[in-house]
Amino acid sequence: MNWNEHLPALLLALPLLGAFLAPLCSLGGKTLRNAMLVAVSFFTLLVAFFLWRTVLADGIQYYVMGGENSRLALPSGMAIPIRIILEVDALSAFMALCGAIASFAGALFSLNYMSRFTGLSRFASLYLLLTAGMLGMMITGDIFNFFVFIEVSSIASFGLIAFWRDRPAAVEASFKYALISQVGSMLILVAAGCLYGKYNMLNMAAIGSALKMGAMEKVALVFLVGSLAMKCGAFPMHMWLPDGYAEAPTGVTCLLVAVSQASLYGLARVCFSVYGIAIGSAFIPWMIIVFGLASMFFGVAMAVVQHDMKRLIGYHSVSQVGYMLLGLGVGLLVLGDPRAMAEFGFTAITGGLFHAFNYTMYKALLFLAAGAVYYATGKRDLNDMGGLARRMPYTAVMFLIASAAISGLPPFNGFVSKLFIYESSFAVHPFLAVVALVTSVLTLASFVKVFQTAFLGPEKSVFAGVREVPPAMLAGMAVLTVVVLGLTLFPSWSIANLAEPAARALVDQSGYIGAIMGGGM
Amino acid sequence: MGKVFTGFGYWDVGAWIIFFVVAAFYVLWLRYQGRSDYKKGTEQDEIYWSGNETPEDGDGLTVPASSAYWGFRKALEPFYDRLVGMHTGIATDILGFYILVTAFMAAIILFV
Amino acid sequence: MIGNAPFFTVGILFMMGLVGIFMTRNLIKIAIAVSILGSSVNLFLVSLGYREGGSVPIHFLAGDGEIMVLPTPQAMTLTAIVIALAVTALLLSLIMLVWRHYGTIDVDEVRRLRG
Repeated sequence: MNWNEHLPALLLALPLLGAFLAPLCSLGGKTLRNAMLVAVSFFTLLVAFFLWRTVLADGIQYYVMGGENSRLALPSGMAIPIRIILEVDALSAFMALCGAIASFAGALFSLNYMSRFTGLSRFASLYLLLTAGMLGMMITGDIFNFFVFIEVSSIASFGLIAFWRDRPAAVEASFKYALISQVGSMLILVAAGCLYGKYNMLNMAAIGSALKMGAMEKVALVFLVGSLAMKCGAFPMHMWLPDGYAEAPTGVTCLLVAVSQASLYGLARVCFSVYGIAIGSAFIPWMIIVFGLASMFFGVAMAVVQHDMKRLIGYHSVSQVGYMLLGLGVGLLVLGDPRAMAEFGFTAITGGLFHAFNYTMYKALLFLAAGAVYYATGKRDLNDMGGLARRMPYTAVMFLIASAAISGLPPFNGFVSKLFIYESSFAVHPFLAVVALVTSVLTLASFVKVFQTAFLGPEKSVFAGVREVPPAMLAGMAVLTVVVLGLTLFPSWSIANLAEPAARALVDQSGYIGAIMGGGM
Repeated sequence: MGKVFTGFGYWDVGAWIIFFVVAAFYVLWLRYQGRSDYKKGTEQDEIYWSGNETPEDGDGLTVPASSAYWGFRKALEPFYDRLVGMHTGIATDILGFYILVTAFMAAIILFV
Repeated sequence: MIGNAPFFTVGILFMMGLVGIFMTRNLIKIAIAVSILGSSVNLFLVSLGYREGGSVPIHFLAGDGEIMVLPTPQAMTLTAIVIALAVTALLLSLIMLVWRHYGTIDVDEVRRLRG
């Protein structure tokens, strides 16, 4: 059997199988359940890695669910694809790799972090369901299937954010997220219905080939952009994000960061591959740029004055998403203009996508380090902390690396992607680059405060019994640190093999459509 | 290896790391110079607490995080009051912002 | 014009759900309004599939029908109903937990996470 052919389906099947096996494995004891969680996450990471290699070598991979032949997109006599088709191009494989690494790190971390709590079979089950939903969002080629996977990951997140049911703040955060997520998903369904009603097709490539801009398509685009921007955490719809990220158990927060990136992927896919140059007016690109600028600046302004560690890092999430939205918006703005595209548009999209990968890695590492501090000291409030670097040296070093990466300090990887975004947004209008630079400075200010307050300074007597965290948690953080350092030391390899193929696949709408519809729009 | 060409310039990781190593070498060498009349362990080593009693425990010595950027916050008081006032924490307010932004986008894209 | 009646109903139900979310302070009523919003979207999906004079989209032993309504929106609606059911169940159990912790289900009072 040719394994390469079935990799997309395996990527979804493995976490789903793990999710449903979790209650059974719990009957066999704690060790069996933990082993299953780590093994399934690791094999999902392997499948994502092999899928990425296959896509880079062989081009767009697609998989027809439920057909006689998994490569038969247009069965005999049909002019439109009729089954659910998973379409994996370089961008999907890139995002799936990123998400799988975050999921593996979170699973390793949760082994020891959650060991004091009960109900862990449900935790493992929901965690693997969330992984399956996120990966499904990234590789599906069908717009209704995209909605279904958004709902799968949202429902799993509601349960996971409220996992510590005896804490009022966790229940409140989960309720607020559930409310806005449900309304947003209903609007995505309205958009999918509008597109179906007009074209009688649900496949994204098929809709892209037949699309002509009219009132229905404009309404669908607005609903999709608004809801997906809300799910990423764009200002002013971001208020659920710091609450949700702070109150969830830390391994889950690590995965939620990757789930927000899946929504960003959905936004890019809808704007570039389904609509493409048919977008016409420059309103939606400018709206995305404005979302980006507002998220960047107001997110970091709110973050500077926080004193709860995880909530502060959550507000920085909002501001980093602004960078990616700025890059994608600038790329979308000049999509129809080949000269500007070659000059700065392609750089902007490459920068935005590379920033998404970098961001997932260092943000997950920041959350894991904050969770390690909480596990060791029992405190989340920065006012109570101090002098932990002597007691927890490894955590302090990894937090330092992640803080330098997020602030965009050379030589770390955050600077490279930000450099691409600064240069390309400067070419559109200097004000965009100014806002981005000011945001970087404020991010650095905020993390200087966090690192100094939590780790440096004189030792406190209340922390006399604090020790370094257990090895499984250190292993989870080490996975992410290794990836961050790898991206730092080999930027040209990373850009040439990770970010550039993804950006090229994103702007190549005819390639995306041609893989399913069989050559030619 | 390690050199990335952007549209307008280039970025070299190796150069930056070498720069930091050289700078670290200079900094550590300068620190090592010291003064010949410094004796560790005598009263030259004590923390100066503006003439008051130095607190024993680290608790009294640390500057809490909330007072770290108080000047910044105070100077931008009108901006911060409005910004933090927007984050009320009421569930329907979050929904309100989202619906208003989507309605605004829909109105502009359909009628302008 | 009369053929568009389902879509007018969809619009009215959608506005009722949306206005209901903002006009009430009780969390249970907000959950009910979200459920009405979900029902309006499901009605929208089903009425997209109708074709004039169409019969049920079944071949086997279903009698003589040349025109059939589209089956795909029916599948989409079933999926959406099940998903909305799961989310409503979760919303209601979260409201129950909120009542147990806060003692109130007034949306203006449940705001310990702010700023």
